[in-house]
Amino acid sequence: MVAVLSPLGSGGLEPQRSQLTLGTKVRLINWGLVLLVAIITAVGVALLFSAAGGHWKPWAQPQLVRAIPGFVLMLTIALIDVRHLMKSAYIIFFLVLCLLIAVELMGRIGMGAQRWIDLGFFQLQPSELMKPALTLALARYFHGITLDQIGRPLLLIPPLLLVFTPVAFVLMQPNLGTSLLLIMGSGAMFFAAGVRIWKFLLVIGGGLGAIPVAWEFLHDYQKQRIYTFLDPETDPLGAGYNILQSKIALGSGGLFGKGFMSGSQSQLMFLPEKHTDFIFVVLAEEFGMAGAVALLALYLILLIYGWVIALSCRSQFARLVAVGMTTQFFLYVIVNVSMVMGLIPVVGIPLPLVSYGGSAMMTLMIGVGLLLSMSVHREVRIPKSGVTDL
Amino acid sequence: MKFPPFGLPFRSQSASTAPAPRTTLAAAMEQSRYRLMVTAAVVTTVFATIGVKLVAATLFSQGGEPRQHHALELDSTTTNRADIVDRNGNLLATSLVTQSLYADPKLISRPEEAARKLVSALPELDYKEVYGKLSGDKRFVWLKRNLTPKQQYAVHRLGVPGISFEREERRFYPAGNLTSHVVGFTGVDNNGLAGLEQGFSKRLNEDPATPLQLSIDLRLQHVLRKELTATIQEFSAIGAAGIVYDVRTGEVMAMTSLPDFDPQDPTGLNPDTLFNRATLGVYEMGSTFKIFNSALALDSGKIRVSDTFDAVHPIKIGRFTINDYHSLHRALTVAEVFQHSSNLGSVRMVQLIGIAAQRAFMAKMGFMRPTALELPENGWPLAPNPWREVNSMTISFGHGISVSPMHTVAAAASVINGGVFHPPTILRRQPGAEIPGEQVVSRQTSDMMRRMFRFVVADGTGKSAGVKGYVVGGKTGTADKQKGRHYQKNSRMSSFLGAFPMHDPRYIVYVLVDEPKATAKTYGYATGGWVAAPAVGRIIKQIGPLLDVPTVDENAPEILNATFLNAAGSTNWAQQAPNAPSSAAPPPPKGSTVASFPTPAKPR
Repeated sequence: MVAVLSPLGSGGLEPQRSQLTLGTKVRLINWGLVLLVAIITAVGVALLFSAAGGHWKPWAQPQLVRAIPGFVLMLTIALIDVRHLMKSAYIIFFLVLCLLIAVELMGRIGMGAQRWIDLGFFQLQPSELMKPALTLALARYFHGITLDQIGRPLLLIPPLLLVFTPVAFVLMQPNLGTSLLLIMGSGAMFFAAGVRIWKFLLVIGGGLGAIPVAWEFLHDYQKQRIYTFLDPETDPLGAGYNILQSKIALGSGGLFGKGFMSGSQSQLMFLPEKHTDFIFVVLAEEFGMAGAVALLALYLILLIYGWVIALSCRSQFARLVAVGMTTQFFLYVIVNVSMVMGLIPVVGIPLPLVSYGGSAMMTLMIGVGLLLSMSVHREVRIPKSGVTDL
Repeated sequence: MKFPPFGLPFRSQSASTAPAPRTTLAAAMEQSRYRLMVTAAVVTTVFATIGVKLVAATLFSQGGEPRQHHALELDSTTTNRADIVDRNGNLLATSLVTQSLYADPKLISRPEEAARKLVSALPELDYKEVYGKLSGDKRFVWLKRNLTPKQQYAVHRLGVPGISFEREERRFYPAGNLTSHVVGFTGVDNNGLAGLEQGFSKRLNEDPATPLQLSIDLRLQHVLRKELTATIQEFSAIGAAGIVYDVRTGEVMAMTSLPDFDPQDPTGLNPDTLFNRATLGVYEMGSTFKIFNSALALDSGKIRVSDTFDAVHPIKIGRFTINDYHSLHRALTVAEVFQHSSNLGSVRMVQLIGIAAQRAFMAKMGFMRPTALELPENGWPLAPNPWREVNSMTISFGHGISVSPMHTVAAAASVINGGVFHPPTILRRQPGAEIPGEQVVSRQTSDMMRRMFRFVVADGTGKSAGVKGYVVGGKTGTADKQKGRHYQKNSRMSSFLGAFPMHDPRYIVYVLVDEPKATAKTYGYATGGWVAAPAVGRIIKQIGPLLDVPTVDENAPEILNATFLNAAGSTNWAQQAPNAPSSAAPPPPKGSTVASFPTPAKPR
């Protein structure tokens, strides 16, 4: 049991798992991580059940139903050979970019503001899919160049293009939250790949300097959110309403909360969006500080799994993918929880695996699937030039 | 050559030992390993920071909403009547300057043309009527009152001679129906005709610069009205009244009577909508009155909470027979009489106290005169005169005396707040100001009454008013309505008087529903426990956080110490047996007033 639940999963060290059988792979899957994801998903379903006033509909049941293909997808990805992933990284990136551009154009031409493709049981948002796709592409690029080469500014131009081409389209949607998440997640990969510290300082400095310019390009509703963040009480019944109610709910939870399905802020109609971006409030009100800290602890354990997997990888590609996915996950949690507590402006970022919504859940399942695949194939070494021996 | 800032030692070491391609790969891996540790450290720090912030947000902030002070800034000196604002400064009534149009027909040479032009600018006027006015003999006729600036501009543009404007003021009520029965309304000439507008008409006109601040909280008012409206709809009732009351200060925090009206346009409506059920209407309160009967009994020193009374045999007096709604066929303790709302037990209790003492007590509770509330709609109670034995008996369970909901709430507050009667007020008491009050029952009585209140919600007729964490207590009431000389079986007033938190009471929430009809969901019942108690529960659930009342664990020892009471009348929660001894008490012999009365009364 201990072995199964350890961050490295089961299985001894087998040098060069170049040709693993399916059975071996299944055995090598990090089931502890899978269990952790299942627990967090279950917490989410329970909270959605409570947010609907003790009913399976309209949120808990669809969420549960969607989780099943999610887990299948996650485990399927876990079995894909890391070399296949590396080989097709650019192709995947390109396809997702095409999807992104396609919905952008369709949205502009006649389908209104629709930025997703309806797949029936859930809506596919290419901007969400871009997160794992970009991670794979960046990992492949940095795998292929040496530390010395990373020092050359010219060689940083292709990865920067990889990042900012999709970001530009996501910004046009407009979706500020997802764009920032893409940039910050990629930043972590640049950092892990060894890009010099002073370049980061330069970029951060430039970013801060660009704020006055960027301000002019923000939509009114985005500006309003920032005003509201700076002083929610200026507009307590309008834009500041959600964050004020959210703070009240957090404060009224106390040490152990009001009990399952008894949070007055969230059970009654005080708190809008309680099932999506503000679901953490339902948790904090009903289970108090203890419940909220417990969920944060679950997330932290998940992050630790991610880092341990990253550290154990024998190839730079696998390590960078693991770092990228783990960082994305971390950003989701931290941005959502900070937003709910009023530490940062309201941006539409869900609480991973807990908030209601299919697209985000699929992205996260894909992400965890990639992480699992890196874990299964952690002993695989890949030469710098790429993959030839498959 | 550039060296990576973190990878330097490893690079210089391995460069000499391994072949070049391996080295660069290994170096990159080592670099990423090092950077990964840094990232993990940063991320963990951020996580810890958020965790600490979270602990602070959940534990150290009381769930209260910051007080808002966003009263509309108006230049009060330009109007002649003061604003009315709620306790947080929200505007409830204000005066705006308007212009009224009049004409001097003598100066109008061509009334046809003038009338035609005026109607084109003000389409709501009738041509014939205007023409009639303009062609008359008078020197002054009103054409239209209270024009907007836009309408005034349109009339000016006509260039019609002989017409002119008079500056007037008009009252506006931004909260609309929400506070209609509190604020009231004014007539065209700005004199108050109802509510506070009438009660404080002089004050509002004499000191226009200072807004009149009420004890009402608009947010609570909203919750109260919303829940009353929902209750009326659910039970097809004809009306409802509700009060939220601060038991420590006597301030009315919210007060609603439904149906209500738009104070902007109160004319031509059903007079029923103008009737304030919360303060002007006087009703037989039914079982809610057992609050006062119990307090009277306990405060007399002659009866203790564990004493038992015959609740089996009906009482006949004259042509009346007094009986219990749901008899338990056994003797009941004072606690059980309150819990099960037994009429027989109540009558037998007051028989021991005496008529004179009962009458004096009801007078102390304020039931012999209108309340001190500053509204002109302040009902006179209907108390029997003379106060005979039969009156004494029926009053013990709330019939034969009619008081307003406000009377009931103010008196109940004194019973649970430590025994001090504060005159109710609808004006905000300034912090630090002395609150007038008179000790009407002892602290011990008040303490026991809190337990009785709590007992009814914890395990009695008022269970559905319970809200976890707020230690709600209260008493149900259902009274058949009298039409003419007879009581109607199926038209009743159902009420619930709730208070919270019972270990240290702060607020009373009172709901009265007029003629509720039973629904399938309530299994055919339309009593206070089924109709009004759930509404009180929903209201407390919503206003508790707004009022900064902290939630507590209702079964914590310190809470039980202050609120516990069982059927046997014991307050010792630690030694509570699963079966209270009193439930096994045998039926008393017929006609005995007191089934068991262990010790003689102790005078105090």
